[in-house]
Amino acid sequence: MKPSAWQGICLVFRKELTAGLRFRAAWAAMLMFALTTLACASMALQGGSLEPRMQAALLWIILFFASMAGADRVFADESTAGTLLTLRVYGASQAVLLGKLCYTFFLLLVLAAFTVPLFLVFLDVTVKEPLVLLGAVLLGTGGIAAAGTLIAALTTDASTHSGLFSVLMLPVILPVFLPAISLTASSFGADGAGSPYLGAMALYDAILAVGASVLFDSLWYED
Amino acid sequence: MWGGLDAAPQKGRGMRRGSMEERQTDAGASIVFANVTKRFGAHTVIHGLTRTVRGGCITAVTGINGSGKSTFLKLAAHLIMPEEGAVHVAIDGEEVRRAALRAKIALVTPELRFYARLTAWENLAFVLGARGKKLTKEGYEALLGRVGLAREKTGGMRVEGYSTGMRQRLKLAALFGTDARIWLLDEPGANLDEAGREMVRAEARAAAGRGTLVLWATNDAGEEAEADETIRLAGHLPRLS
Amino acid sequence: MRDSYLWGLAALLTAGVIYAVFFIVPEAMGLGPLVRIAFFHIPVAWVAVIAFFVAAFYGARYLRSPSPRADALSACSARLGLVFTVLATASGSIFSKLTWGAYWNWDPRQTTIFVLLLIYGAYLTLRSAIQDEARRARVSAIYSLFSVLTVPFLVFIIPRLYFSLHPTPVVNARGSVDMDAVMLYTLIAALIDATLIYITLLRRSVRAHREGF
Repeated sequence: MKPSAWQGICLVFRKELTAGLRFRAAWAAMLMFALTTLACASMALQGGSLEPRMQAALLWIILFFASMAGADRVFADESTAGTLLTLRVYGASQAVLLGKLCYTFFLLLVLAAFTVPLFLVFLDVTVKEPLVLLGAVLLGTGGIAAAGTLIAALTTDASTHSGLFSVLMLPVILPVFLPAISLTASSFGADGAGSPYLGAMALYDAILAVGASVLFDSLWYED
Repeated sequence: MWGGLDAAPQKGRGMRRGSMEERQTDAGASIVFANVTKRFGAHTVIHGLTRTVRGGCITAVTGINGSGKSTFLKLAAHLIMPEEGAVHVAIDGEEVRRAALRAKIALVTPELRFYARLTAWENLAFVLGARGKKLTKEGYEALLGRVGLAREKTGGMRVEGYSTGMRQRLKLAALFGTDARIWLLDEPGANLDEAGREMVRAEARAAAGRGTLVLWATNDAGEEAEADETIRLAGHLPRLS
Repeated sequence: MRDSYLWGLAALLTAGVIYAVFFIVPEAMGLGPLVRIAFFHIPVAWVAVIAFFVAAFYGARYLRSPSPRADALSACSARLGLVFTVLATASGSIFSKLTWGAYWNWDPRQTTIFVLLLIYGAYLTLRSAIQDEARRARVSAIYSLFSVLTVPFLVFIIPRLYFSLHPTPVVNARGSVDMDAVMLYTLIAALIDATLIYITLLRRSVRAHREGF
């Protein structure tokens, strides 16, 4: 009676979603963090306008750090609550990783859906190519979710948490982060980066997800 | 309150002799500790332990606090790995490890926790579902009723509202619900009343009767007497000054 | 015992390379005496990259069959890698300042070495944050392998991303093969020398690391 991989993933995702939706404080903290960063950037600029490349960089810095505040909890919360042992005993590695990856992706999409429109309003940005922006946001958050889930699992046993997570994330996520900025900039009207970057990002997202999936097994099963 | 379990102890005891004969064959579960040493930092908890544990009987693991009972159970489950030696787990004559092993064990320890923001029912559905088991609504009700957590008592409350004893009962429900071939019990009677402890004994005996390997860490003389075999851990306590 | 031979060989080679750099190599390509920094910079950067792959390789070895030795090799290689990366970054910055007028200008190679610096830093921070030895070894092995995934990006995407913004004629001219034969041989000798020094240091630090237990 082995559950199919897909059923296992759905089961973990549903569990995360149910428990997550009942824990409003975490959502509130993450969204408020994004709002605070955004307001901070906007006020610091005092209504002054930025060139598209700067706008794009600012948007992704906000998104990156806001997502760090949400994505690093995906295993740490279980560790604090003591449920990690239950998960290790009963959950199969791939179901756990991919279920949590899907949930993190969902979490980051909500975050982006909250942050990006506010950013466009606060900084008075006109989007010339909405589809390119959408693609960049989807693939960018996808990459953060893929790398973030594995790295969140790695930092569970670490004595320091939040700072460490961002430190480990940045080098690995740069290949998604930098093209995302270029693409976002071009969607804001800067010339340069085009659609080949979307392909490269999608490819790198896939590499991250597959890499995380392969490596997670040796973390989950130590024998 | 513990309806449906009354017959279990007798049935279990009847099976005891059968299980002894089973040892000659490959059938059933077995765990072999081969010269196992486990250290935490500079502190050696288990030193050069060699033992074989077989399915079909209850093996008590005893020893003073800090003698490594919990460590012993985790080593058996491959949840932690020894520094030296090896722990071989076999099911029906075939060595299992990694996912195959994980799918065969169930664990009740004081450090095990369920999801506080989910109800007992949701927790069970998750844990059993992860093992590929899907029960009907009645099935879950029966399972929860079996450990004394029937809906009329808990009112579908989330686990965060549970008392320690109720949490312990939920762990037992998960244990009974999975078809694990290896039961790793660490003080399973903790926080339970007399009737609850009796239920655990009866269930463990019945499980052993079905060929399950039951490892039972305890410091209770009564529980130890109930076991078919005993592993006494000497313990390498750090000197307390 | 064998270490002393390695040290001797490295010392001889180093002496030879230093002699060649200061007395034989011509002051080519309009760079004047500055070109000499390259004979330090390139080998050091080379070792920084080698050490990264060695750390990942022993990480993979550890995951396949856990042993304190594989973990020690991985950790020590990363530690040495960090030192070499810092040296490469510093020497590169000086070279950059003297030839292009700025210490830092995000050309592809600078970006790559900087990412390497971040990875080494992250890896060593992770190690320092986990107490349990077996857990630390496993977790850091996984991270070292995960960070290898950035390599295709560093090799293929970074040059495209930054090249147009920061043309680097000097690097290009130096990178092409039409190099003075004496310079080329000296450079190869310097690369071998740096690798030898790295191997010797790695062996030594692994021994010290394991005796520390």
